[in-house]
Amino acid sequence: MKLTLVALFLPLFPLSAAQNLMLARLRAPAARAALLLAWPQLGVALLHALQPQIPAFVVTWALLSAAFYALRLLTVRDLGLWAGFLASSALALTWVLVARGADITELHLFVFWFSLPAALQALLTGPLARRLGAAYAGLFTGVVERQPRMAVALTAVVLSAVATPPFPGFFALLHLLRGLAGAAALGVLGVWLIWGWAATRILQGFVAGNGREIATPDLAQSSMLMYTAALAVFAAAGLLFTGGGL
Amino acid sequence: MDKLTILLPAVPLLSAVIIALLAGRQRRRVARVSIGFSSLTLLLAATALALYLHDPQPTQVWLGAKWGSLYLDPLSCIMALAVASISLVVHVYSARYMAEESGYARFYLLLDLMAAAILLMVTAGDLITLLVAWHLIGVLLYFLLGHDTRRAAAQRYAFWTFFTYRLGDLPLILAAVLLARAYGTLSLPLLFERIAAAPGTHTAFGLPLMTTVGLLIALAGFARSAQFPLHTWLPYSMEGPTPVSALMHAGIVNAGGFIMNRFAPVFVHAGDVLHLVFAVGLVTAILGSVLMLTQNDIKKALGYSTMGQMGFMFVECGVGAFSLAIYHLIAHGLFKGTLFLSAGGVIGDARKHDGVPHDDVYTFVVERRPIASRLPWLAAAIITVVVPVTVLGLSHWLVGGNFVGQQGAVILLFFGWVTGAQLLFATYRLRAESPWRTMAMIILSLVVVVAGYTVIAHAFDLFLYPDRTLSEHIFAAAGIPLVTFEILVGILTVAIVAGWLAVYYTNAKGGKEDVRPSALRLAFYSLISREFYVADVYAWLTRTVLGLSQRLNVWSRWV
Repeated sequence: MKLTLVALFLPLFPLSAAQNLMLARLRAPAARAALLLAWPQLGVALLHALQPQIPAFVVTWALLSAAFYALRLLTVRDLGLWAGFLASSALALTWVLVARGADITELHLFVFWFSLPAALQALLTGPLARRLGAAYAGLFTGVVERQPRMAVALTAVVLSAVATPPFPGFFALLHLLRGLAGAAALGVLGVWLIWGWAATRILQGFVAGNGREIATPDLAQSSMLMYTAALAVFAAAGLLFTGGGL
Repeated sequence: MDKLTILLPAVPLLSAVIIALLAGRQRRRVARVSIGFSSLTLLLAATALALYLHDPQPTQVWLGAKWGSLYLDPLSCIMALAVASISLVVHVYSARYMAEESGYARFYLLLDLMAAAILLMVTAGDLITLLVAWHLIGVLLYFLLGHDTRRAAAQRYAFWTFFTYRLGDLPLILAAVLLARAYGTLSLPLLFERIAAAPGTHTAFGLPLMTTVGLLIALAGFARSAQFPLHTWLPYSMEGPTPVSALMHAGIVNAGGFIMNRFAPVFVHAGDVLHLVFAVGLVTAILGSVLMLTQNDIKKALGYSTMGQMGFMFVECGVGAFSLAIYHLIAHGLFKGTLFLSAGGVIGDARKHDGVPHDDVYTFVVERRPIASRLPWLAAAIITVVVPVTVLGLSHWLVGGNFVGQQGAVILLFFGWVTGAQLLFATYRLRAESPWRTMAMIILSLVVVVAGYTVIAHAFDLFLYPDRTLSEHIFAAAGIPLVTFEILVGILTVAIVAGWLAVYYTNAKGGKEDVRPSALRLAFYSLISREFYVADVYAWLTRTVLGLSQRLNVWSRWV
């Protein structure tokens, strides 16, 4: 029972559906971002408070859950949903650290490295939907032509979400891999590979292609500065706190 | 020296930051700034090499406590100079070539970031820095190849490249994890010291650790350097801008040879992996060359030519000639970069002149020149077989002395002999007014090239591997039982000589045999024209995975 409760917050399929349902119901990007940031942190806090027994099968279940959401990510076109699925896939990997007996700070940091980029993506759905009608890949392409700042922000956020260096997710995954052996390590690498594939698909659906004929305003300079600062601090924090991962 | 090491990747990075600040305001200034910083980078790389030659002591500089170190040794010095040179040429060429394109500043920004990432890779002194740089190169290349965001083909093939590079990133990550876990250090020089001290004390995936790690590193190299069957992205990457094609074919694609050399101390204990590397390299070299011959698009032909050259580079690694692979990749980088940057001019010339040779009657009657002729086929065949082996044997004997007992040297001589013979055969096929004079000039050129190549390659080996024991151990690891080796060389020699004689004989008869293609020939042709169906298999796999993803989403109602 305790394990089920924690698995609701540190998403394991099918319990992960709760987080994704809530994300689908929430309309305000800020609320989605807040949920993506707070939900897994609550999970770690609950885990610490309840101290459930972790059976051996949880690691396999977590890896399958991560692979399941990674695979589904490939054909998701809605950016908000994409952020939720990626978070579901990445946060499931927290269980590998849990099974290894990682301390509470390490767990809080691990979920933060993956939930912040997802939250930033959720925030970006707001300006995208206001300008294009929907934050939906392939609907209106060529964002780089008309809204270069938006394209840069979107690209950087997506890259940080799929654990590209120098963002902390990269080092966090290296740390995760260091404690894994054999098939489990290959499983994590496979999930990582699919994230990269999914990232190119979602980016091509927005950034590439012919630009929209109707002029739409670019992301405000202040917003661009905010995203740049957030990602720079995020990368710096990763370099500081992960210690390289290995 | 320490500051110089840090400046090597830092200068192009600074250039990228300045361009990001200038973007959208001063278009022309962007190119000038970028070229200026590129020139400075080249100057720094040349100075680093000169300083190393003056005082040959490897230097490791640490920027962070645990990782983030740069290492200057012969390999990184020579690679940094090659990368900086090619990068400067590409920067200068792009200034006018890309002038009409949109995203001019973005292009230069990416180009500078790419230069910084490659320099970081070649000077990386620890596993994590190497992984970061290795990973970033794939990401940046994706954006450079997809620079023209309006062209669907550019996006598609940029993705192919990205995905193959990601496939190559993962084995290297796993290798790094296994090495760090087993030897408890991230520093590359320290790691190699510990490997040399205790190479056989660990296992992974049921194999000796060195074999597993060697295999993983080789796999990473295969993906980066387009080895069969991970080659499909390379010929299609021409959809990117020409300067990017030049940079990629002259520099980035050579990363496989670099990574093999960087981890050379691992391969001393992974002889079986070197045999696999040899086999994969050989298959790639043959298939790349065959596919190159069937292309009618100059850039695609150059792409397959690069694939073949990369195959040869791995063959060299497979026989233990690691330093030769570095020499090869630099030489190939320079000539292939030149070919790409001049491809546009060649296409322009081809549009003006049809290039169809005049026939003999026209030459004799209208141009009043003697009719071109060929050497007698038997004389040409004897020259083809004997001359290259004599030239190669003598030049190697001059620098290496006892090379006959070294399998690696014999295989390389064998390939040199085949290449030299092909050159002489091509000369025979050229009809010339004075065929004996032409053949003599070509043989003289062959002597100069082979002697130069042999002397420079020898000097390169002494520079890159001053520790002769390491070099000898790599050659020893790559060896196979002598009897097997001699039988294989014998079979190959007989097959090749018989093939040449048959071709000479057919040519001498004027090629007038029954040319009705057999079913087997047609099947072979269709196999080549579809590029061995490798891309089709990948496309089918992609469709299957995407279909599965879609079905999963529908079944789980998108939550």
